[in-house]
Amino acid sequence: MLAYSLNRPVILERLGDDEEILAMMIDMYLQDVDNNCSALDSALAAEDASGLLREVHTVKGLLATFADEDGAAMAFALESRLKEGDMRDAEAAIAELQARMSEIAVVLQGEIGG
Amino acid sequence: MHSVLIIDDSEINLTLIKALVQKLGGCDPVLFADPLRALEWCKDNVPDLVIVDYMMPVMDGLQFITAFRALHGRNEIPLLMVTASDQKDVRYDALIGGANDFLNKPIDRAEFSARTRNMLSLRTAQKHLANRAVHLEAEVAARTADIRDREKELIFRISRAAEFRDPETGAHIQRMAHYSQIIARNLGLDERQQRLILEAAPMHDVGKIGIPDGILLKAGKLTTDEFEIMKKHARLGYELLAGSRSEIISAGAEIALTHHEKYDGTGYPNQVAGSAIPIFGRIVSVADVFDALTSERPYKKAWSLEDAVAFLEDGRGKRFDPLCVDAFLAGWDEVVEKRQRFQDVVVPLL
Repeated sequence: MLAYSLNRPVILERLGDDEEILAMMIDMYLQDVDNNCSALDSALAAEDASGLLREVHTVKGLLATFADEDGAAMAFALESRLKEGDMRDAEAAIAELQARMSEIAVVLQGEIGG
Repeated sequence: MHSVLIIDDSEINLTLIKALVQKLGGCDPVLFADPLRALEWCKDNVPDLVIVDYMMPVMDGLQFITAFRALHGRNEIPLLMVTASDQKDVRYDALIGGANDFLNKPIDRAEFSARTRNMLSLRTAQKHLANRAVHLEAEVAARTADIRDREKELIFRISRAAEFRDPETGAHIQRMAHYSQIIARNLGLDERQQRLILEAAPMHDVGKIGIPDGILLKAGKLTTDEFEIMKKHARLGYELLAGSRSEIISAGAEIALTHHEKYDGTGYPNQVAGSAIPIFGRIVSVADVFDALTSERPYKKAWSLEDAVAFLEDGRGKRFDPLCVDAFLAGWDEVVEKRQRFQDVVVPLL
């Protein structure tokens, strides 16, 4: 999987070239990223398959919103396995997802100059 | 201002959709992260558009749509469901369950604006149609009331036409109609029947139009032959009014025909007795006789109220239906009030 880089033109095209909305989205992502990661941990620890599926789905949406096609594909693959009730390797996949989210957070933080 | 309900458990999506809705202009976004709370809100509020995410805890988008559509009057509200493009099966279920269209995730502003605008146009058209329906309903009610008013006016004029040839006055007609209404009420007839007899009773003597002046206006006592001719006014009135599609005129026909029948079967024109005489006829008989007795006429003085009441009581079960006499006397205070209100003065011509 390639390192994440912010594909600003693609995201902005989806947002109708609205920089203001993009800035707001980045801000919200940075606010929520820790909560999203810990929600994944909690669902995993509780062996709550449907809860985990929902959290992975949410993360998939977030990654797609920031035009991370590789990350979204990874989340989609995990989501598909969870739908089948396949929890094997879920822990490793979750760790990978969390790492990806953190990586994106760092990039976004750089964007806003923080 | 369109009220746009947005339900998504993800704060970032809520914020994004809210921002996009605000950019549309003319929209007031209402946000809920919890679909159950959104549903509660929907019980008292009617949104113009609903945008709901599919994947949510406790209640997913499909369950929300089902519950929302089940609320009274929410069946036609446009609804968009937000789904990832890989959720084809969910989309089919949502369409069957009542979603109007979809929004793809990640949300694309151009697609979002086009689809939400379409949905809001649909809503505007719905409201326009509903307003038009309400307007038309009010219009029909107004026209119907207008027709009914004209019908009443026509009836009043027919009754007055008979009056011009009759020594009885307009005030007599008013009084006996109100007495009839009092009896109807005290007999327990419903309000609609009470109003009907009030409006129809004035036509009771309309058949006098067909009685020659020499008999109708005769100051002295009528001969037997003359009285036989006079009696024809009941049937003449019936023939004049019968067969109408108007409920009031039909009731007037029945009253005209039966108000001279007597409870013991010795009246005219058909000598029917007891409950075979229609109730309106039995009621009007009491009201008409009481007012005739207590009014001054060219050939007689007015009776005292006491004498007139004694006449009614004496006629219980003979001339009059005893229940109608009781119902009349039970409303005595009101009878006196109506008698004072409708005095024999010259009624201006219409």
